[in-house]
Amino acid sequence: MSFRKRNIGLSTGSDRTPTSDSPAQPQQATPSPPSTPGVRPSPDDGRPTTSTGSPSLDNLLAGHGGLPIGKTLLLEENGTTDFAGALLRYYAAEGVVQDQKVHVIGMPEQWGRSLPGLIGPAEAADEKVDRRKNDRMKIAWRYERLGEFGAGVAGARATSGDQSPSSADNNLDKQPAFCHAFDLTKRLTHPSISNISYIPITRSSEPLLVSIQRKLQALVASSPPSTVHRIVIPSFLNPTLYPPEVSQPEHVLPFLHSLRALMSLPTSRITAMITIPLSLFPRSSGLMRWMEILSDGVVELCPFPHSSDALSTSGAATSHEEPPQGMLKTHRLPVLHERGGGSDQNIGQDWAFTLSRRKFEIKPFSLPPAEGDKEAQDNARSDKMPKKEDLEF
Amino acid sequence: MPSQPPLPHLLTPYVTSPPQASLTILSSVLGATSNWLVLRFLYAALYASPASGVGHGVLGVEAGKKRKVVLVSFLRGWEFWRSEAKRLGLDLARLIEKRQFAFVDGLSELFSSPNAPTQPQYPGARIPPRTTLPLRSQPGPPRLRQPVSPSAGGDELLNPTTKEPGPVKRLHLSGCGIVALDGIEKEIIAVINQLKTSTPAEDGEVSEVLLVVDQPDMLLAATGPSKAIGATEMGEWILGLQQAASATIVTISADSPLIHNASAFAHQPATPLETGHAAFAVGLAHRAEKVMQLRNLETGAARDVSGVLRVSKGGAWGQREGAEAEGSWEEKEVLYFVQRDGGVSVFGRGE
Repeated sequence: MSFRKRNIGLSTGSDRTPTSDSPAQPQQATPSPPSTPGVRPSPDDGRPTTSTGSPSLDNLLAGHGGLPIGKTLLLEENGTTDFAGALLRYYAAEGVVQDQKVHVIGMPEQWGRSLPGLIGPAEAADEKVDRRKNDRMKIAWRYERLGEFGAGVAGARATSGDQSPSSADNNLDKQPAFCHAFDLTKRLTHPSISNISYIPITRSSEPLLVSIQRKLQALVASSPPSTVHRIVIPSFLNPTLYPPEVSQPEHVLPFLHSLRALMSLPTSRITAMITIPLSLFPRSSGLMRWMEILSDGVVELCPFPHSSDALSTSGAATSHEEPPQGMLKTHRLPVLHERGGGSDQNIGQDWAFTLSRRKFEIKPFSLPPAEGDKEAQDNARSDKMPKKEDLEF
Repeated sequence: MPSQPPLPHLLTPYVTSPPQASLTILSSVLGATSNWLVLRFLYAALYASPASGVGHGVLGVEAGKKRKVVLVSFLRGWEFWRSEAKRLGLDLARLIEKRQFAFVDGLSELFSSPNAPTQPQYPGARIPPRTTLPLRSQPGPPRLRQPVSPSAGGDELLNPTTKEPGPVKRLHLSGCGIVALDGIEKEIIAVINQLKTSTPAEDGEVSEVLLVVDQPDMLLAATGPSKAIGATEMGEWILGLQQAASATIVTISADSPLIHNASAFAHQPATPLETGHAAFAVGLAHRAEKVMQLRNLETGAARDVSGVLRVSKGGAWGQREGAEAEGSWEEKEVLYFVQRDGGVSVFGRGE
């Protein structure tokens, strides 16, 4: 779209241009000073966004390159796996690294200690290696070195900007990193990790969710207004954590509604991410639908069952790519759908996700040629170099 | 893509001047929200009303008469509506000052009302002194006085941040059943009446007020039988609001789990939430003159189509006297596309 191109050009010129460009947006939250770590204006309309901790999820969010401040993301997961929990850990870890205030609901402190360890300011290392691998076939060897040299000077941000075409903004070169890379096998050690506040699930005289809501409100109110908050709710309504009466609509929906109210205050700078097990609360139920309506973004994870490992292995387009581990569906995206939907390049794609040690990657999904279909496989293999008999008519 | 006019011409006959005492239903689903359509209604009513002369009644009256709008929103805050309306060229904050528009906030403190009667709920000095809005429990004439019960929870909140400067009235839900709904109804009606009488027209005529209620079904879903609020109560509540306004627009969710699970053919037993919602939505559709449904494209998402808009006649269509005057629109199904700049294009299939 010609609109977007021009907009991006302007935004590289100066930081303030996007905000003045779209006069409707800056009221969404207090205009953030660009120096706030971990918050940057959206390339789409200039509203402040913050990273979810995994670059490919950031890129999925309707061109904002992150989760807009004041929005909730609901991660639904089918089955018994915990891919959504991994995403949630990235999200919390990113908040810790960016010195944001992280509030974890319903989890003990062990949860916070098991956050993935920080690798670096960005996914510089492995991303770059990946890209080199892909580019090797196309770029002549001697030019490739030049490219590497340039990338080394420009630093990590250029890489991340490149691999996210929807959020290609280069004015972050001088700014602190927006998103970090984490290693799931390591443990996060960061001075501000002790700042995580845990809101336990305890029995009290008043309804549980009301007291949680009240504690959250007090925590947000008691911190300086420039603080950016992250509310993390792992496996919401899971009966092993929450008492059964909580999953009644008259408890859950007022809680989510008040959470929405708290986050939409113009003085607060909050994002929230909630995971919920779909096996217990199917999407076909009215309660679940209301929870989705009350969230700004809804992403569903459908991990492949183990029996289809064979299929998913062949689903990798090339040998060095990791096979996808499940499908990802976006039912609602923040801001975009509130305005009416449509017009996002990511809409309507089938997504597959791969969780590896270092990253949660979301890629377009494509079905491999059928396993038994020898002919099709031969064709696929000989795509690059047509055989002689194919050329003869 | 060229920028679109604020009101696509295909849409114009449907959003301008809902007839007197009529109810219009806008139904939405998760991926196809109705906010843009609500904004079009606001635009048609508030922006340059002489230009949009397609009105009801005698044509001569139209030019001078300005409609006023009260927007009650349960899911979205003032900031959202203000910024989105600005994209359309509609300055809601100024319209509030000019007493043409009022916003009633059903989001911020609906379930968590601070129990501080001394604290002014609306810092704006917009309210004329004639009818001072009480915080709650106005001793309204016909209904019983609403007890100030802390049962809604979250009463003794310590939230200093809620003092947001904004000329908005905030709703609180407290108590149970009819009483709770009555409290909200009274507050909304008080706002409507203030708007009606705030600027008496030159000829002494009371101006018309269009009432837009955004997702009142949230109230129903979040309260449920334990608070003795059901579809019947909600229906009566809407009816009460309708009487105060000259025309009413209500947006509701019509996702399939909320509507179809309640039917006898559903695979699983319906929860009270689902049956209540279905009864409420269907009941409203029967009372409406016009039903505008938004839904996703059946064939999957597309890059240049946001969804499908279907306009159909509601159960109450043609029941009023002078119904022939409203023949200016016909049932139709079109596609729409919300662009990034906020413009909307509406087109038929294949166009």
